[in-house]
Amino acid sequence: MTATLELRDWLRPLADALIPAGDGMPAASAVGVADAQLDLVLSARPDLNRHLGRALALTAGMAPAEALAALAELDRTAHGALLEAVAGGYYAHPQVRELLGYAGQQPVPVRPEDYPEYLAQGLLERVVERGPIYRQAD
Amino acid sequence: MEHTEVLIVGAGASGGVAAGRLAEAGCRVVCLEQGHWPDKSSYPAVRPTYELEARRRWSGSPNVRGLAEDYPVEDSGSDVAALMYAGVGGSMILYAADWPRLLPSDFRTRTLDGVGDDWPLNYAELAPFYERTDRAFGVAGLGGNPALPDGADPPLPPLPIGAGGLRVARAHDRLGWHWWPAPNAVLSAPYRGRNACAQYGACMQGCPEGAKASTDVTHWPEAIAAGAQLRTGARVSRILTNPAGLATGAEYVDADGRWQVIGADVVLLAANAIGTARLLLNSASPRFPDGLGNSSGLVGKRLMVHPFANVLGYFDDRVDSYIGHVGAKIVSYEFYETDTSRGFTRGAKWSLAPTGGPLTSALPTRAGTSTWGPEHHAHVRAHLGRTVSWAIFGEDLPDEENRVEIAPGLADSSGIPAPRIRYRVGENSRALLDFNIARATESLVEAGAYRTEYESLMRYSGWHLLGTARMGTDPATSVTDPYGRLHDVPNVRVLDGSVFPTSGAVNPTSTIVALALRATEHLIANRRDQRTAA
Repeated sequence: MTATLELRDWLRPLADALIPAGDGMPAASAVGVADAQLDLVLSARPDLNRHLGRALALTAGMAPAEALAALAELDRTAHGALLEAVAGGYYAHPQVRELLGYAGQQPVPVRPEDYPEYLAQGLLERVVERGPIYRQAD
Repeated sequence: MEHTEVLIVGAGASGGVAAGRLAEAGCRVVCLEQGHWPDKSSYPAVRPTYELEARRRWSGSPNVRGLAEDYPVEDSGSDVAALMYAGVGGSMILYAADWPRLLPSDFRTRTLDGVGDDWPLNYAELAPFYERTDRAFGVAGLGGNPALPDGADPPLPPLPIGAGGLRVARAHDRLGWHWWPAPNAVLSAPYRGRNACAQYGACMQGCPEGAKASTDVTHWPEAIAAGAQLRTGARVSRILTNPAGLATGAEYVDADGRWQVIGADVVLLAANAIGTARLLLNSASPRFPDGLGNSSGLVGKRLMVHPFANVLGYFDDRVDSYIGHVGAKIVSYEFYETDTSRGFTRGAKWSLAPTGGPLTSALPTRAGTSTWGPEHHAHVRAHLGRTVSWAIFGEDLPDEENRVEIAPGLADSSGIPAPRIRYRVGENSRALLDFNIARATESLVEAGAYRTEYESLMRYSGWHLLGTARMGTDPATSVTDPYGRLHDVPNVRVLDGSVFPTSGAVNPTSTIVALALRATEHLIANRRDQRTAA
């Protein structure tokens, strides 16, 4: 599913209003939220396309702040779809993940701790020493 | 007409356990499952869009997913939305695999606290089945928890509790409050041909490693090898009965859309507390005008879902809770048992849970906040990898007003009438949750949280579907006997969470499968005396 040029042009300034450059992070448009990342988002969530099209129709020609306020007021589903599309594309970008230090979703085989720190520190020992906390019931 | 000895409806947790044990005992078994075999390669864990996909295709809500094999659940009038999954493995495909047991007092709430009902069995009777199902599913945990009676240790060592778990454990040590490494049905080491956890942190969108226990990987392969037949894409519309009031089999629509009838000596219902109630109600006939097994009038009533709250703590340091298993890092039973000075009966279990990846951090939090514009990046950095959440499950006392019904005019893609749920959080539950939110906030502040937020009731939390065909000894006040057998139709048994007389305050899957094993072995032991329509 591909987005129209009109949709991409409409989305770009709105995306930057939601996620501008700052704090060492790029703006949404700089990582392709209205371009390649939008294609990625719509391939994973084709259902969003319909709502984005409606959002465009409702707010075409408005300044970004006005458009976002209007969407939140007029169509919460379309507003939610816009947030999902922008943030979904932005945070799926490898540069953004690297800048955040996000290390999730990597296959790292778990290794049970031989002697977990909580045992070394006696934390569980004290839980046990306080005795059973359940009520007996036959 | 095709005929089998035992027909199982649903290939999830309880259906898988029953099929495995029955096939092992030499019974002829056919299972009809409305969903399909899950394709592990389709699970989104390794894709950068996994959080986006979790909000649609991999949502727990059948209404959000909207797949052909799902049935809609009309839940607009309910405080909590119903969550489930249709497929081999059932809702275990998407569950978190938090694997606690009920406590002894959960079986005796009427005797001890004057609320709910006593179960027709006790903890000691179920304990041997818990131990066997722990081994079958491959539970990782640590024995010796003083919140439970002594018993066999879990078969695998506990999963790492992470930096967040250790931080909160130290806080509870200072407070003198209970905590324990959580038991999870997630492998901490290779076990019975399955791989250990690869720590994707995406358990609730399907485990691509097969480390999280679900019956598609733990039970069905052996059950099929032992002779059980599993038919997917097969959706049961009704249980059929004869003039003597015994079940003769079921009508279903197959994967090609053709209507079929299969005969059976015994029918086992394992379709969860909404699906099983729906099927019993849809099986109404002149002989059973209010639905099958419903002479008590309780089929569909007493729906319990565990009202769920959570408290989020923000820390200056990274805790990276998004790495590793999702179910629970540590648990606390400090406020589980009744203390009447608190103004409510019963209590809650707490599970320390991760708080998701970057998209979850960016979009509105569980507490409902989101920030866009110049402050957005600071908002995400504060949340991502620097938060943990106490997930609070409260005891959900049975109330006949909370129920499953057939929704007028609503049907699934096969035209089978679909359910509606009505569920309201009761006064006791509300007071219980409010008290525990306050205590969990104290816990996280003691752990060093500089800020906390809470969600007083999470709407999309209705995983724990319980109570709609309660068991008991009196046919006037219960739907099944203590082994899940319908009082009214003795060759139909209910194996899922429908039979719970009360909910306890823990994740129910370990109890559901232990009860299913117990009921199945009762069936096998008494098969010579089983009344059938034949």
